[in-house]
Amino acid sequence: MRELWIQATGAIGEFFSLVLATLREIGDENAYQRHLTAHGTPHSAKEWRRFCDERWQAKSKRGRCC
Amino acid sequence: MSRISEQPVQTGAPRAPKAKLPAAVGRVLWGVVALIAAYALAIIADDRGEPVNSMWLVVAAVCIYLIGYRFYSAFIAAKVLMLDNSRATPAERLRDGHDFEPTNKWIVFGHHFAAIAGPGPLVGPTLAAQFGYLPGALWIMIGAVLGGAIQDFVVLFCSIRRNGKSLGQMAREEIGKVGGFVALLTVLLMMIIILAVVGLVVVNALKGSPWGTFTIGATMPIAVLMGLYLRYVRPGKVLEVSVIGFLLVLASIFGGQAVSNSATWAPVFTMTGVALTFALIIYGFFASALPVWLLLAPRDYLSTFVKLGVVILLGLGVFFVHPQLQLPAFTRFTDGTGPIFAGKIFPFCFITIACGAVSGFHSLISSGTTPKMLAKERDARAIGYGSMLLESFVAIMALVAAASLTPGVYFAVNSPAGVVGATPAAATTMISNWGFPVNPAEMQDLAASVGEKTLFYRTGGAPSLALGMAKIFSFVHGSNGFLGFWYHFAIMFEALFILTIMDAGTRVGRFMLQDLLGNVWPKLGQANWMPGLLGTSAAIVAAWGYFLYQGVIDPLGGINSLWPLFGIANQLLAAVAFCVATTVLIKMHGAKYMWVTCVPLVWLVTVCFVAGWQKIFDASPALGFLAQAEALARGPQNATTAALIFNARLDAAVTGVFLVLVAVILVDSIRVWMNILGGKQKAVMTETPFVLSQLAEEV
Repeated sequence: MRELWIQATGAIGEFFSLVLATLREIGDENAYQRHLTAHGTPHSAKEWRRFCDERWQAKSKRGRCC
Repeated sequence: MSRISEQPVQTGAPRAPKAKLPAAVGRVLWGVVALIAAYALAIIADDRGEPVNSMWLVVAAVCIYLIGYRFYSAFIAAKVLMLDNSRATPAERLRDGHDFEPTNKWIVFGHHFAAIAGPGPLVGPTLAAQFGYLPGALWIMIGAVLGGAIQDFVVLFCSIRRNGKSLGQMAREEIGKVGGFVALLTVLLMMIIILAVVGLVVVNALKGSPWGTFTIGATMPIAVLMGLYLRYVRPGKVLEVSVIGFLLVLASIFGGQAVSNSATWAPVFTMTGVALTFALIIYGFFASALPVWLLLAPRDYLSTFVKLGVVILLGLGVFFVHPQLQLPAFTRFTDGTGPIFAGKIFPFCFITIACGAVSGFHSLISSGTTPKMLAKERDARAIGYGSMLLESFVAIMALVAAASLTPGVYFAVNSPAGVVGATPAAATTMISNWGFPVNPAEMQDLAASVGEKTLFYRTGGAPSLALGMAKIFSFVHGSNGFLGFWYHFAIMFEALFILTIMDAGTRVGRFMLQDLLGNVWPKLGQANWMPGLLGTSAAIVAAWGYFLYQGVIDPLGGINSLWPLFGIANQLLAAVAFCVATTVLIKMHGAKYMWVTCVPLVWLVTVCFVAGWQKIFDASPALGFLAQAEALARGPQNATTAALIFNARLDAAVTGVFLVLVAVILVDSIRVWMNILGGKQKAVMTETPFVLSQLAEEV
């Protein structure tokens, strides 16, 4: 029973972390982390602005679906 | 969580094999699913003259999606596309930490679904419900399984095998330069029509509604506030600022209620359709010229999260409330005399519901960001095919929400004054005479319960959908007291992401126009050259603004002319995508599997050309643009008659241009196919060479 409980809570936790990761991906937070890793720089307001400008320069050329 | 390990396939820790059911048990289970689908379909198709519970429709749809996914998509993945997980995807080979990044399958699924889901699968089924719930429901289910999901899946596969190239680039490489140019031009024209038609949906939802206008107006300063917060106060905290933005938007709904009850403020926010049109045009121009981070980016995040949340909420609402479908399976308007839009079931049901069944626009997403994020080729099945099925399910839920309204109310909200009469008494008499009883007092009570002065002539689909959703949501907490809140919440939700589409679309159109004009005068192609930027922004805004204005002043409500134009354009773009996909399949297998994409292609081309022909040449002024122009010329003349005649002829010309463009790409494609199949032309594959994947098999 205890093992089943651990499995169930583990599965629920995994599900919610997946949901959170999806939301972070949609919100570009994951992309920002990748940006920091790729450039080897720490988070700062200036770095976020640089990332945001680059990201949206490309994003704003793509249409939104109807 | 989102990152994929670079563990080689062979060295990954051994995983326990997935437990599989014995084949015979599996066959029995799938047989049961098929029987349930057949039974549920029989229930919803059997018109016994009494309301059918919406749960039968939901069950039929889910079973059909399960069967389509389990068998048809598996066949396509294994035999037709031959997906190979040992082949490195562009995300792995070209990994750059920006666009190309191997990402968990379910995260890409959510990301892709958020990108393809727009107002189309909500509004289209609501409008098509004028035929009854059955034609739209069948088209949504069958169209998605055999058409829309195939398009998304195959185009995604083609793009993965070509370094994540766009549809236009693939059309140029696989078919030829003509195909590439036509694809670009079709997308640009389609964008203009889309922006006009979604603008019309917003205008019709907000005209004469101080509550709605205030709420939507408030989303603009809220978005700017979010942009400033994200830029200067808490950089990088997108989820945090989105939660704040959502709470502020909810507060603005309550603020809208106070405004609508205020003798001072209500008149300020009570706007006519024409005034709202000009407000939208001015907004569109500034929104496309303002820095992206200030308005577009924060609202894009917010609207995407709200969209996903509302879709889940609607799903739960339909599941728990499972309302009766009040509309009949078929209405009398299958004969083409419908008040919302003219035309018979064939072809207009299949034009009206584009997103939700087959949407050409998805091919741009499938060849955009998504192919650059896929870690493994086989993920394309769940993401390309699976997320289209989910979008189709959203369309089914929208249909349930619309069909659960009393038919008389549904037609009173969606019919234009030019068809049913300019007074509530005239409108209700005509609608009741059609066999859908409704009276002015009932409509007045309903309007009062949602905080509106009137709900007559609110064409465009959004208000009736909002009513249906509000009734479902209100039922969940067992009180009608919140009907007004939920109605305006639904209107806010629809308008929020329609406005995002409008300013994002204006930008995209501007870039495309700059690309095109850059070939003539290179300076115009420079994205940062201010005169070029302002000039092309103004040109795009003027183009969609013109069509929007003509829709607003159209006595038939605008939707009658603009929505079919949008549907034709969207389906024709799908035809372009299927041309590219068929060319690739012929190059891979010869004629063996070309039916997979050719069957939906033939269907779409037939539907679009019949619809286009009827919209241009039909003798009925309610349907044919040229007949409408002629009838206007013969009738009594007033100040707007000349403009209406010009608009009808312009719509005929635009429809004709769409048909010619797609005929060109179709003929060009058929020429390439015949040359390859006849051995006159070598089938040159433009796939990137095979590279062994180094990523772990499972993530």
